[in-house]
Amino acid sequence: MAARKPIFNQQVLVDTTPLPDSVPKVKEVGATSAPLLSASFFIGARCRPYNDDYMQCKTENPGKGEFECLKEGRRVTRCAASVVDDINKHCLDEFRKHWQCLDNNNHQLWQCRKDEWKLNKCVFDNLKLEKTIPEAQGIPVHLRSKQIYAHYPALRDPGQAPFKKAVDAPGAEAPAS
Amino acid sequence: MRKDEKDSNKKLTFAIFLPQRNLPAPGFKPAALVLGMGAVCVWGFYKLGQGIREQNELAREKMWSRIHLIPLLQAEEDRDLARRHMADQAREKQLTGDNFKVYNSDRYVRPTYAVTPGNTTK
Repeated sequence: MAARKPIFNQQVLVDTTPLPDSVPKVKEVGATSAPLLSASFFIGARCRPYNDDYMQCKTENPGKGEFECLKEGRRVTRCAASVVDDINKHCLDEFRKHWQCLDNNNHQLWQCRKDEWKLNKCVFDNLKLEKTIPEAQGIPVHLRSKQIYAHYPALRDPGQAPFKKAVDAPGAEAPAS
Repeated sequence: MRKDEKDSNKKLTFAIFLPQRNLPAPGFKPAALVLGMGAVCVWGFYKLGQGIREQNELAREKMWSRIHLIPLLQAEEDRDLARRHMADQAREKQLTGDNFKVYNSDRYVRPTYAVTPGNTTK
């Protein structure tokens, strides 16, 4: 029995037929989870209208959105790719530091505030994109200089100023350099 | 009291030992202990509340980062599904000359079985 070798691998299962020529081509973003998480709020800041358009299209075409919303989907992808490209162009070092920190810390954003502040500052200076958390209670959590759950209480390099809008918790000033 | 009566009484008396000595109890007073415990509990619940509030905010941050990413990820997935579906339809048309309507609706149904092409074109 079972003389036939079981064939079950990705090479056979992948259907490589491209989209028909009637559908415009778009290059996928191709970033992994940590860079996407690191850039997510900037993607949201620039691409919110495209994202909302796409989600509205999906809502209005239940069951057919896969085909009806290809155009909106391409816009979403192009916009997100433009954000990632811009960050790569202007803030590559900060971006890398931040997403590598995320990768090393189980994707916990609060462990990487120091790198995040540097990235946020660079992105705000160069791209005018700002990270905002809607409906945040009190000081937005990414601007607090004290992160209760972080492994290391020293959140800043000596002398490093916090991100512009950060509000210092009492007694949490950065030591002088 | 006469002298002889006193003497006879003296014969009958014995030392009475009283255990109650009115010394202060060692350690803290119970009221102080209860108050201290209360203070520790209040402090602990205060810190717990702070932690819960910060966790809520962190969860909000995480959720919004995901909300900003979902259209991007969904668009990529949809494009892939559309590509596979169109390829399936084209293959079916090529093989049988017609696209058989499997479902009695226009909804897109994600295929349970993947028909794999004989030779990959990559």
